[in-house]
Amino acid sequence: MEKTLKKEKLNSLITGLKDKGYKTIAPKKDNNLITLCEIQEADEIHFDHVQTNNSIKEYFLPKTEKILSYTIEKTKVSIEEPEGFAVKSVVFGSRPCDAASLPIMDKVFNWDCTDKFWIERREAITIVTIACDKCDSYCFCTSVCLAPDAKQGSDVLLTKISDDEYLVETETEKGEGLIKELETVFSEPPSGTPDRQVATVEKKFEIDKVKPWLDENFVHKIWAEFSTKCIGCGACTFVCPTCHCFDIVDECTMSKGDRVKNWDGCQFKMFTLHTSGHNPRSTQDQRWRQRIMHKFKYYVEKFDNILCVGCGRCSRVCPADMNISEMLEIISTDEGQPEPVSKE
Amino acid sequence: MIEALRKKAEELLKNKTVDVVYGYGEGSVPERTRPVFITKPEDVNKLTWNKYCVYNLTTYLKKQESRKLGKPAIVVKGCDAKTITVLIKESQIKREDIYIIGVTCTGIGDPPATKCKACDVNTPLIYDELIGEKIGNKEFSFEERYAELDEYEKLSEQEKWDFWQKQFEKCIKCYACSSICPLCFCDRCIVDKNQPQWIDPSAHPRGNLSWNVTRAYHLAGRCINCEECQRVCPADIPLNLLNKKLAKETEKNFKYRSGYNVDDELAMATYKEDDNQDFIK
Repeated sequence: MEKTLKKEKLNSLITGLKDKGYKTIAPKKDNNLITLCEIQEADEIHFDHVQTNNSIKEYFLPKTEKILSYTIEKTKVSIEEPEGFAVKSVVFGSRPCDAASLPIMDKVFNWDCTDKFWIERREAITIVTIACDKCDSYCFCTSVCLAPDAKQGSDVLLTKISDDEYLVETETEKGEGLIKELETVFSEPPSGTPDRQVATVEKKFEIDKVKPWLDENFVHKIWAEFSTKCIGCGACTFVCPTCHCFDIVDECTMSKGDRVKNWDGCQFKMFTLHTSGHNPRSTQDQRWRQRIMHKFKYYVEKFDNILCVGCGRCSRVCPADMNISEMLEIISTDEGQPEPVSKE
Repeated sequence: MIEALRKKAEELLKNKTVDVVYGYGEGSVPERTRPVFITKPEDVNKLTWNKYCVYNLTTYLKKQESRKLGKPAIVVKGCDAKTITVLIKESQIKREDIYIIGVTCTGIGDPPATKCKACDVNTPLIYDELIGEKIGNKEFSFEERYAELDEYEKLSEQEKWDFWQKQFEKCIKCYACSSICPLCFCDRCIVDKNQPQWIDPSAHPRGNLSWNVTRAYHLAGRCINCEECQRVCPADIPLNLLNKKLAKETEKNFKYRSGYNVDDELAMATYKEDDNQDFIK
């Protein structure tokens, strides 16, 4: 289904969503950050940015969440499971890369153990994406088989066609349902071919060359050369829309407690530390290699998807200016013989 | 200045005075630089110096990956050099184990970083070789040094609490603040200890408050105000406001400023019978 949305109708859209019982999550400016967060009014929405600082991930896999509470009595343990965590919502104005991360992660959260927290939220939340009309030098969606107007994961895709108008395309039944619910807000599609204002994202590397290189180069000096500057924090993994590792901890007293699921990341040295004291990934180059291998080799082998959407957040926030697309560029152009290349 | 820096690095590597030079190199965008580790004399052209050289490279003195490259020469600005003084005082490094290439600096960042406003170390206080013309270091009054706290200190207790609650809510527990901090050198941080669990690892209000306050307290009387924690925070939390407040209290109570003099006794690690304890209520 195709429609158009005039900017002047945004107020009616956001009010309409509220009236229909949706919570609205949209980009909002707060000091130096553009954050995807809950909004009440259309005026709060920020449009003129490349990317939000936080990814869409936290609305499906929050940074911390209670997965159960328990009470231990003399002869029994009672368990209380949380309810109401999946709230009917619309994420409005996330980028196509963020939306594309969702079907990629569906695979892992529906794999050996179905994660009800992820799945129920996926059902409850509708994704209305705005195609990118600008990008920066950290963006590389086009290098990982996506595009600034990619449709994967979006229920509705909005594309700017003039300063005050968006083309509205529904991609799923859920998206179609949403548009029908708020029918009066939208106008009929334009006649003729609309002028889609979409950014041009430069292709930085040939993705086809990455996995074959990784298959051969688990041991390679480039891992250490590139990552000496890595400080081993978790910023890259936490801002990443596709990094999904978590840790389970009990926050408890002797008789009762909460079992909590928290983001965790492979760049922390504690991540793989065994109780014996042995650490199979004891140095940062091994941890950096894991990040690349997981995204561009292991996940591809297991789920037939690259675990990266090219949003560039990891490189933007990296305290030491580690740049993932630069690493992939090196990998994809390295002949492997005889001296491995290094940009260091 | 860049040429002098490269020449010095080349000489140090050629003479085998050091095995590696920790310096600044070109970044992924013109507005950034990145840490580089130069081990070969022919690579010194990768070194650069400009207003984007924000990093406090002394943080790499605590990392096994950079330390295994051998004896380092390290490029430091005046603020960064103060870290070295603290690291020596706290027995983390020996003066003779590192070669210090000091660079004179008139401010970094665009716009200049907050720390540069009342900078009194344009010329580093400790170095083996100085690159750039020596600048007479300015002096600032106590009030001028802590001027950035003026607005904050006007807040009531409740307002301060609300302010930090709102700030810490944003924390995602990525630990970039402690990973980048050259003075957060514990091999196993208190936050990594779970028997008992001193600090909740969860990024909920309790966990975030206990982490951020503990981090700041462990730096009281130690932090040299390089602002790296604040720079790297992906959640844009004004962490240096906490550090600065604690530095101010330390100076007020102990007449001590961290990193200025290698002969000063450490504020938090020196026992004195006549210590001023009035601040403990």
